[in-house]
Amino acid sequence: MTEVKVKKESTDPVDIENRIKELCQQFPQGITDQVIQNDMPHVEAQQRATAINRLLSVGQLDLLRNSNGLLYRLKDLQSASKVKGSDNQEKLVYQIIEDAGNKGIWSRDIRYKSNLPLTEINKILKNLESKKLIKAVKSVAASKKKVYMLYNLQPDRSVTGGAWYSDQDFESEFVEVLNQQCFKFLQSKAEAARDSKQSPMVQRNSSFATSHEVWKYICELGISKVDLSMEDIETILNTLIFDGKVEMTIIAAKEGTVGSVDGQMKLYRGVNPIIQPTGLVKTPCGLCPVFDDCHEGGEISPSNCVYMVEWLDF
Amino acid sequence: MMAGRGRGQLTFSVEIVGIGKGENLPPSSVQPTPLFPPLDQKPVPLQTGEEAEYMLALKQEFRGAMKTLPFYIRPAAPKKDVERYSDKYQKTETTDNSLEWKPDWRRFPKELRVREKRPQRDKSPAVPKQPKQPRVDKEEIIRKLETLEQKEKEGSSDEEEGEKKKPEEEEAEGEEEYDEEEFEGETDYVMSYFDNEEEFGGDSDDNMDEAIY
Amino acid sequence: MTTQEVRLCGLLLQEHFGDVVEKVGTHLIRCGVLTLRALAHETKLALDLVKKSLCVLMQHGMCTFGAGRRGPAGPVEYRISCERILHMLRYPRYIYTAKSLYGDTGELIVEEILQRGQMTMSCTVKTVADRLTHNMPEGQSMDYSEVVSSFSQLVETHFLQRCPPVASTGSSNTGAVDTPPPAVAQPSEPESHPDCYRVPYINLTGQGKRRRSSEDGEADQRAAKKAKIDNSECGDEGIFWQVNFERFHLHFRDQAIISAVSCKLDQTSGEIVRTMLRMSEVTTQANAAFTQALSANEIFRALPSNYNIARPILDQYLTLLVDDPMEFVGKTGDSGGGMYVVNLHRALANLARATLESVVQERFGSRSARIFRLLLRKRHLEQKQVEDFAMIPAKEAKDMLYTLLSENLVQLQEIPKTPDHAPSRTFYLYTVNQLPTARLLLQHCYKCFDIYLFVDTIQTIGNLIERRLYETKENKQVPPFSTIQNISSKRLLEKSQRIEAILASLQATGAETAQLTEVEEMITAPERQQLESLRHHINKLDSSENQVDETIFLLESYINSTEASR
Repeated sequence: MTEVKVKKESTDPVDIENRIKELCQQFPQGITDQVIQNDMPHVEAQQRATAINRLLSVGQLDLLRNSNGLLYRLKDLQSASKVKGSDNQEKLVYQIIEDAGNKGIWSRDIRYKSNLPLTEINKILKNLESKKLIKAVKSVAASKKKVYMLYNLQPDRSVTGGAWYSDQDFESEFVEVLNQQCFKFLQSKAEAARDSKQSPMVQRNSSFATSHEVWKYICELGISKVDLSMEDIETILNTLIFDGKVEMTIIAAKEGTVGSVDGQMKLYRGVNPIIQPTGLVKTPCGLCPVFDDCHEGGEISPSNCVYMVEWLDF
Repeated sequence: MMAGRGRGQLTFSVEIVGIGKGENLPPSSVQPTPLFPPLDQKPVPLQTGEEAEYMLALKQEFRGAMKTLPFYIRPAAPKKDVERYSDKYQKTETTDNSLEWKPDWRRFPKELRVREKRPQRDKSPAVPKQPKQPRVDKEEIIRKLETLEQKEKEGSSDEEEGEKKKPEEEEAEGEEEYDEEEFEGETDYVMSYFDNEEEFGGDSDDNMDEAIY
Repeated sequence: MTTQEVRLCGLLLQEHFGDVVEKVGTHLIRCGVLTLRALAHETKLALDLVKKSLCVLMQHGMCTFGAGRRGPAGPVEYRISCERILHMLRYPRYIYTAKSLYGDTGELIVEEILQRGQMTMSCTVKTVADRLTHNMPEGQSMDYSEVVSSFSQLVETHFLQRCPPVASTGSSNTGAVDTPPPAVAQPSEPESHPDCYRVPYINLTGQGKRRRSSEDGEADQRAAKKAKIDNSECGDEGIFWQVNFERFHLHFRDQAIISAVSCKLDQTSGEIVRTMLRMSEVTTQANAAFTQALSANEIFRALPSNYNIARPILDQYLTLLVDDPMEFVGKTGDSGGGMYVVNLHRALANLARATLESVVQERFGSRSARIFRLLLRKRHLEQKQVEDFAMIPAKEAKDMLYTLLSENLVQLQEIPKTPDHAPSRTFYLYTVNQLPTARLLLQHCYKCFDIYLFVDTIQTIGNLIERRLYETKENKQVPPFSTIQNISSKRLLEKSQRIEAILASLQATGAETAQLTEVEEMITAPERQQLESLRHHINKLDSSENQVDETIFLLESYINSTEASR
C-alpha cells in the first residue's frame, strides 16, 4: 500500500466502524482481529477495540470462537441465514421471542403461544442461545425467573430494575452514596440561604432546589457509571424525605420551564429535625435488645446486666 | 403490657413476612443466642451542661432532704447504744431540717390520729456543749467507726428475725379514745406526732432496702 | 394501671418516704379503695404505721379520702393517685423551672412545698427566707416581703394553688354531723374553688434568720417554738398551698413546642411562637387543641421590644410558620392582619412522632428508621412497596420489617380479597399506629426508670443479696457490678458521710489544715477510688432518670391530648 493511502485513512470512529463492517461483508464467514489490523495499520489498538466493542454492543457484530481464535462476523446476515437453515419450530420460537421485544418473554409463555412441549422448547432455546440469536436475562421482578429476548436488544427497565441494579443485584451502596450526595447538595443550599441574611421569605425560597437542579449536580459529579434520569434522582430524593431530612413541595410551573413535568415542578429542601435524640436513647435500657426479658431474679436482670456495667464504667 | 420478643409468641405467621423455613431465620429460633447479644448501637451520650448538672444536683439533694424529713417513716430506729462520735456533728443537721410536722386535723380524717404517750422530748439525750476547738483524737474516731461497722454487721443478721416477730399492736379501743380537748388545742401532743420513732419499736427491717423486687 | 407503673410508684414512694409508706401505697394501688382497718389487716403492718403512712400520703396530695360505699355513716375509705405519685419523677424539673422563671427564691419556694406536700404561705416564706439568709454573706439577710412577692407571682401565674378545702373530716365515729363528706370517687378539684389563686393577706414582716451553728441547739429549739407561736399570728392558718403540676406541664409543653419551632425554622420563629403562647396562656383551656386566635396586629404589639422585627417581616414569618408541613401555627381568618393559632395538639403529635422515630433510629439504625417513617407517612404498604420506596434490597427490608414487627413497633394487617381468607388471596399490609406505639414506648420508659432506680439502690446499699444469688448460679463469666468489692458500698458511703460531717464541723470551728488532712486520710486510697466510681455510677443513673423523663413527658402529653380530643 502506498503512503498516500495511509494519509487518507481516517481515524474518525464512525469511519472505522463502517470500514470494519465492509470487511465483514467481504468475508461473511468472519474476520479475525489481525485482518482488521492489517487493513488499517495506523489506527491505534485502543480505537480499534472501541469500535469493535461498540459494534458488538449494538448487536451489529457477533463474536465467535474457532480454532484460530476469535472471529467477528456481521450479525444480520448471520441470523437470517441461520434461521433459514433451521426448522420451522425454531423459526416459530424465534418469532415469538422477537415479538416480545426488550421486555422479554418467560419460557412458559413461549409454550402457551407456540403450543410446543416444554422439553422441545428448552432444546430450541438452548440452540438459539448457543448461536447467539437470543439471550436469557434474569428479571428483577421475580428472582430466579429468566426471560428471553433477541440477542442484540437492551433489556427494558422493568427487567433490569433500572439504574439501581447491576446484573439483577440491587446496588444498595450506590443508592446510599447518591442519598448522601443529594442531601449534601440540599444542605449546602439551605446553609447558603441562611447565611444570605435576606428576608425570611427569600431565605426559605432560595433554600429550595428543583429535582432538575439536583439531577444536574449529580450528573456533573460523575459518580454514576450509568445514566441517571431525573426520575431516578426523584426516587433518591424520596428516600431523603423518609429519612426525615428533606421536605418536598409541588408548585405550578410555566410550560417549558426547565425541570417541569406536566406544568408542575417539584421543589426540595434540606430541613432540621424538631428534636434532638430523645432522652430514652441516651440511657442503656433505651437500646437494650433483651429488654422485655429483663426481670429481677430472671436469667437477664438489671443486676447481672453486662450492658449496664459497661455503660456505667464508661 | 409489653409485647413478647418473638419467642414463640408471635402474633403473625412467619411465612407471611416472607421468611421461608430454614431461610434467613430470626436469631431467636435457630441457634441459642448469647444472653446478652452484642449491641449494634451505643446509647447517645447523656446530655451535659449547666441545666443537666443542676437538675442532677437538685435530684440528689431532694432525695437526701426527704430522708431527714418527718415524712420518711422508719419502722423503728435501732437502739443507739453506741454513741457515734460524729453524732455530735450530725445532730444539728437533723434537727434543723426536720421541722416538726403538724397535720392540720381539720383536713385529715380523725381516725388517723395516733394515740400517744406524753411527748418525750426531754428523754432525748441532751446534747453536751462542745468545746470551741474540738480536739480530734484520731484513734477514737477509728475505734468508733470500727465499733459501728461491727455493730452493723451484727445488726444485719438480727434484722431477719426482727421481721418475723412482728408485734401485733392492738389498739382497737385506743384509736377512738383521743381527747377532744387536745385536738382542739393543738398542743404538744400534735407537735410530737412523728417525732419519736422509737415508739414503734420492734418492727425492724432495715434490710427492706435490699428487697425491692 | 400497668405492673410497670405500680412498681415504679412503689419505688418512688420508697425513695421519698421509706419502706412503710411504700408498702401501704403499693397495697392501696393494687386494691383501689380501702378502709384503714382493711389496709392494716392486709398489709400486716402495725395500725399506727398505717395511720402515719396515710397521713404522709394525704399531706402530699397522693391520697384522698371520703365516705365509702356504706355512705357517710360507714367507714372512711382511702384512694391513692398513681398519676400524682409519678409526678415525683419530675420533681427536679419543677424546681429547675421555678428557678429559671423566678430565680433562687422561686426555686426554694417550690422545693420546700414539694418536700412538705402542702404548706401555708407564712410558713413557706419564713423557711425560704431563712434558707436564703443562710446562704448570704454575714450581715445580710433576706426580707420576708421579697419572698412574699415571689410567692404571689407563682400564685398569679398559677404555678401554686390552694389545696382544695375538705368538706368534712370524714370522721366515722361521730357519724354524719354536718354536710356529708365527698364521695371517694370525686376528689374536689382545686380550680373549682373561687379562692384557688387568691393570695391571702399575711401579717408577716421581718427578715430571714441565720441558722445558728451547732453549739446552741437549745436556742434553736426555742426559736422553733417561737416560730410556731408566730404562725398563729400571720392570719393564714388553715390555708395550705400545693404545687399545680398541671400548670408546670403546660409550661413544659410550651417550652417543647418553642424549642421544636426554633430547631426546625429558626430562633425568631421560636420567639414568635413563644409570644403567641404567652399571650394565650390565661385564655386557653388546659387541654385545648389550639390556642385562642390572635391577630397579627396583637402579636406584633406583644413581641418583646428587643426583638427588632418589622411588621412586614412578622407577616412573612407567620406565613412561613403556616406553610411549614409541621403546622405548628394555623391561620383561622383574615381580620386584624390575619388571625393565627398555635396548633397545640398537632405539635404534640409531631413531637411524639419525632420521639418514636428517634427511638427507632438510635436502636435499629437509620435505614430501619426510614422504613418506620415511610410507614408513618404512607399508612399502609405491602412489603414490595416498602422495598421500592425505601430503596432497600428485599432481603434487608424483610429483616428490618421482621424486627420492627416483633418489637411491636410495626403492625401487619391482613386484607382478604376473598371471603375464604386464603393466604394466597390476601393482602398483607404493614402499618404503624402512632398512639398504641406511643403507649408501648411509655411503658418501656417506666420500666427503664424502674431499672435505674433499682440499680441506683443496689449500687448504694451494696448488692450483697444479688451477688450471692448470682454466684450460686455459677454464671461466673458474666462480670458482676465492678463496684461491689469486699466492703459494701452502703458502709463506705456512710463512713465517708461521717467523715465529711466531722470535716465540716472542724472547718466551722476553724481547725488547722493538719487536723483536716489527718481526718481526710482516714479514707484509704482504694476506698477513695471506690467512692469515686460509685459516685460516677450514681450520677449517671440519676441523670438517666432525668433524661428518660423528657421522653416520658412528651409521650404522656401526646397520649393525654389525643384522649382529650376524643
